Amino acid sequence: MIDDKSKNKMNAIWLEATGCSGNMISFLNSENPGLYQILTNIINLTYNNTLMGAEGDYAFEKFLETLETEFILLVDGAISVKDNGQYTIVANYKGKKITALEAVKMAAEKAKYVIAVGTCASYGGISAARPNPSESKSLQDILTRLVIRLPGCPCHPDWVVGTLAHLVGYGVPELDEEGRPLIFYGVTIHDNCTRRGFFERGIFASKFGEEGCMIRLGCRGPITQTDCPRRKWNGYVNWPIGANTNCIGCAQPGFPDGTEPFVRY
Amino acid sequence: MGKIITIDPVTRISGFLEIQAEVEENIIVKANASGLLFRGFEKMLKGRPPLDAIFFTERICGICSTAHAFASAVALEDALKIPVRINDRYIRDIIHGFEFIQNHLRHFYILTLPSYVKITSLKLVADQDYSDFRLPEEINNKIEEHYLKSIEFSRLAHEGAAILGGKTPHNHGIFVGGVTVIMDAYKLEKVKAIINNIKAFVSTAMLEDVGIISEYYSDYFEKGKSYPNFMSFGTFNSYEEKDISYVGAGVMINGTRYPLNAEKITEQVQYSWFNNNQVTEEVNINKPDAYSFIKTPRYENYPMEVGPLARLILTGEYTNGNSCMDRIIARVLETNKILNIIENLADRLELLPSSQSAYQIPQSAYGVALVDTTRGALGHWIQIDNQVINHYNIITPSVWNLSPKDVDGSPGIVERALIGSTINNIKEPIEIGRIVRAFDPCISCATHLIGKDKGVHVVEVLV
Repeated sequence: MIDDKSKNKMNAIWLEATGCSGNMISFLNSENPGLYQILTNIINLTYNNTLMGAEGDYAFEKFLETLETEFILLVDGAISVKDNGQYTIVANYKGKKITALEAVKMAAEKAKYVIAVGTCASYGGISAARPNPSESKSLQDILTRLVIRLPGCPCHPDWVVGTLAHLVGYGVPELDEEGRPLIFYGVTIHDNCTRRGFFERGIFASKFGEEGCMIRLGCRGPITQTDCPRRKWNGYVNWPIGANTNCIGCAQPGFPDGTEPFVRY
Repeated sequence: MGKIITIDPVTRISGFLEIQAEVEENIIVKANASGLLFRGFEKMLKGRPPLDAIFFTERICGICSTAHAFASAVALEDALKIPVRINDRYIRDIIHGFEFIQNHLRHFYILTLPSYVKITSLKLVADQDYSDFRLPEEINNKIEEHYLKSIEFSRLAHEGAAILGGKTPHNHGIFVGGVTVIMDAYKLEKVKAIINNIKAFVSTAMLEDVGIISEYYSDYFEKGKSYPNFMSFGTFNSYEEKDISYVGAGVMINGTRYPLNAEKITEQVQYSWFNNNQVTEEVNINKPDAYSFIKTPRYENYPMEVGPLARLILTGEYTNGNSCMDRIIARVLETNKILNIIENLADRLELLPSSQSAYQIPQSAYGVALVDTTRGALGHWIQIDNQVINHYNIITPSVWNLSPKDVDGSPGIVERALIGSTINNIKEPIEIGRIVRAFDPCISCATHLIGKDKGVHVVEVLV
């Protein structure tokens, strides 16, 4: 059995489904707390395809054992339902193929909390882009229970770590009507944009690589709710607008079909 | 018939992979590698605005997104006839270089080492069903410390890419025409400092650690040997100077080196879950004999190994062999090599303003990018008609390495590497995962559809 020596640490399964596993890579970029501190102080991660030592049947047993404990389910990627979910097989347990669809349903039924990490799990995202060949759906689309949504392509590691810390220490954080924690998703990018002053003064960029508000290039900052401008990324050094490119709305429902074209001149 | 061993999930890779191996008298005699994830990017890209392909295709892969942005930008530049000035090529190669470093650090420490070193401080990693851990306690503990330290250095490599490109994974700074960053002295010094910090770790800890592993697990120089066929599309290869160059495009077949001729690349679907008709390919998960979403690319009908070992063999820098351990060593040597290259590129950078333009899309155009990236040879092909993407085809490195059998019954590169390898203890077949992981499989990248339509002259679907 999975033993849990720490009282405050909750078991957790991070299940990768129909996606690129980019949210897990982003999670590895967490800094203070880094991965080691997260896994020793906040959660006791018992199952994850990218990190775990075990493989094969023995690995999937860890998944099954965790279902009998109090745990948090994190899902990275959309859920493909085409042909009964057979476009994403997460395990072959004792001769039976386990689809991501099946694994998510099994775990979500028993989890104390369910978190959709990234835009694919939250809204379908790139995996569900038209014509959606894998019939990918969001986590909420296949579940009836509350799903905490942490959209972003990828999800910022702080948004996951902050949500986990809140769940473990203080319970469910305050959410908006879509299930997004207000502390990270409360205002639009445009509200806090470092280039807001250009917008107010009517100074607009006509191509990438220019100073000026990029709304005329198709910036999705006005409709995209994240704290990217204040938080920034990767050691807090930069963000897409800091790289002189517009926001493409990667954390919004409807991304990517509804936020195209990403750039127009 | 021998004993069948199934490992699924093969963990510590990107995406979902099943290995089925048949073992007779402790030797693997048959192996099937099955890629078990399909999304269908080529279908999604049809009809989209061409410039969106850069940010769209990078979302194929969470660990090598920059590679797709890079290839997509090069394919679009080819189609739109847009030149890239040298300073921007330097910056783009530095961003791509940071991705190599990030990937190789994570692959060696986080994905590979837990099969050779006991990582006792993290329960998730420690809990394994195997006992073949050979390092003396003191050495084991030292490498475990490096495992934990490496987490900071791979994060730092991503920070370097973000300084120049906004964020990562799914960077914004690589674009048609070069890059979008406005270079300044502070950014440049920060990039140089990051390269230096990572170099200090790689040139001491990482190089030493792989030496220790290869000593205690020296039997892995005899396991995991595949075909003597290697291919690269070239990377860090657009410069004259040696200190910023790595490998040009080329192939090696049975020990002889030839120039790359992309027209010799073909693809088959005999053992893949795709039906093939005259117009498009459709998924068919009930297809008899098929066992993978991955297709079978061949070069002149040869299966070709791609990746760090293939590159170093093609440059002549690595001559020891093509076993499981050789692949692991090559990846570490390459990490050090690329750090030196991007350090030298940074020394050449000028503080120039952005050279971006407002790019116009022609009615029709066709472009190709053949580039080498972390896992090997990556191809993007774009056909633009009516100012939108009509066809977009992608063949990733992992498709080359992870392909199923071809029509002649010849196994793919990973399958061939498993066949003939000895399992020391049949109750603990740890060899299979070790051999497979040495290729750094990425299944999120590896599954794709290809149309046979015009514009993709290079790819002829055979079956």
